[in-house]
Amino acid sequence: MYNNMGPQPGMPMHQGIPQPGMPMHPAIPQPSPFGNPFSGPGSGLIRSGLGAYGEKIFGSSSEYVQSNISRYFSDPQYYFQVNDQYVRNKLKIVLFPFLHRGHWTRISEPVGGRLSYKPPIYDINAPDLYIPLMAFGTYVVLAGLSLGLYGKFSPEALNWLFVKGMVGWFLQVMLLKISLLSLGSGEAPLLDIVAYAGYTFTGLCLAVLGKIIWGYSYYVLIPWTCLCTGVFLVKTMKPVLFAEARSYDSSRHHYLLIFVALAQFPLLIWLGNISVNWLF
Amino acid sequence: MTKDFAVPPVVFPPTGGSSGGANVQQRRFSAIPFQQPPPSSSSQIPFLSFNMGSAAASSATHAGPFGGTIASSSSFGGGGGSPSFEDEEPLLDELGIHPDQIWKKTRSILNPFRINQTVHKDSDLSGPIFLYLALCLFQLLAGKIQFGVILGWIVVSSIFLYVVFNMLAGRNGNLNLHTCTSLVGYCLLPVVVLSAVSLFVPQGAGPVKYVLAGVFVLWSTRACSTLVVSLADGGEEHRGLIAYACFLIYTLFSLLVIF
Repeated sequence: MYNNMGPQPGMPMHQGIPQPGMPMHPAIPQPSPFGNPFSGPGSGLIRSGLGAYGEKIFGSSSEYVQSNISRYFSDPQYYFQVNDQYVRNKLKIVLFPFLHRGHWTRISEPVGGRLSYKPPIYDINAPDLYIPLMAFGTYVVLAGLSLGLYGKFSPEALNWLFVKGMVGWFLQVMLLKISLLSLGSGEAPLLDIVAYAGYTFTGLCLAVLGKIIWGYSYYVLIPWTCLCTGVFLVKTMKPVLFAEARSYDSSRHHYLLIFVALAQFPLLIWLGNISVNWLF
Repeated sequence: MTKDFAVPPVVFPPTGGSSGGANVQQRRFSAIPFQQPPPSSSSQIPFLSFNMGSAAASSATHAGPFGGTIASSSSFGGGGGSPSFEDEEPLLDELGIHPDQIWKKTRSILNPFRINQTVHKDSDLSGPIFLYLALCLFQLLAGKIQFGVILGWIVVSSIFLYVVFNMLAGRNGNLNLHTCTSLVGYCLLPVVVLSAVSLFVPQGAGPVKYVLAGVFVLWSTRACSTLVVSLADGGEEHRGLIAYACFLIYTLFSLLVIF
């Protein structure tokens, strides 16, 4: 439904990828996006970040260590292959999930013998990390703005808001991870779950913005946001849950999905309640 | 292995010769703060080191910024002539602060419509430190003591921009942290101007302050995103995305100013 690349003559290459010479996969030429985080473009970042421990981690040639790290921490570069159109369309999906007429499954393609998912530019249903990161930053900035409008701004309060947002993100990740674990093997990559959890901040930003502009709109926007986030998470987690589950136990699946949707309400109300005391 | 030198006592009348030698020793020692002064048996001044030859040889290999001064002062000692104060490198050059470069870079950001990108090619951190001190000064005049807060936010936001840019740019991204911090720091100039201007805005004019802050934040954002995209590879097709990240950073700083 959403064509992020726009009108293209032939190969969908040029819009977001600065490598016009590559034939089919202008993205990173690696076996899978979840495969090897040490040979992608983000690997420079990882390498320089882990410089101090580099010898310890990379020096040992044990496959076990490498495969474990790549299992838990897939290549972050995959999640940043976005462009303007993808961001716009994805925001439309996250904020108004009812209006999305297309399917919700990710497009997978066999690459190098392993099944992998297409990067976010080609697939509107793929998770990305740019939107959650920016939404989180926007939430912190808008919350600081709303604190200031009530005269309670201070840099320490902003730091506590940052902590509160992080805790909220972490709780959301735990919610999704536990629902995955309780059903199946829970082997979806961690960054996928972090990305899905971070999408809630977009609706939250909308609610906080409404609160700044007109105080009473907050009471309309928060239930709307909770509902939209719930629907989005349910529709996104459904194929993931059904793919990961070992046995097809339909009623348990559905109860868990409904629980995930309902748990958005207290979480988002807590996150949206911006005051100096960060805990409540 | 210490060379035995006839060490003159430290007296500072301008008689040249011997006391000039002591002055050179003292200045050279101040240029090498971490070098252990080897004990000189004939020395009457226990803190000065007199191994000009061996010190120059050992430190030439690993003391980059100090090597120049050591070499220059060792050449004086080797020449045996009287070293003079004028032959030393100027202090600002030693510290790496080039005021004309800082002024050029600052002036390039002052024009909000056309930003000269070539002057920013070599990044330095001394200009951002001056701008940081200026911002802290204006905040101090407004009654807010936020030295640590602003410094911490500059560090965090430059790391944030560095991560976002390199992840978006992918394989070609070659922004390094020094350049990123330098750009974030220089583009803080409009926020400094905002904090100076907001000292004079009367207390009750709420919307005026927000509009003013908005204008300056947009100026900052435009400057920063243009510079970042033009100075590092791989960011051209992600201009809007990077500009939004810069916008968040400078809105954060403007919150400090207006509230």
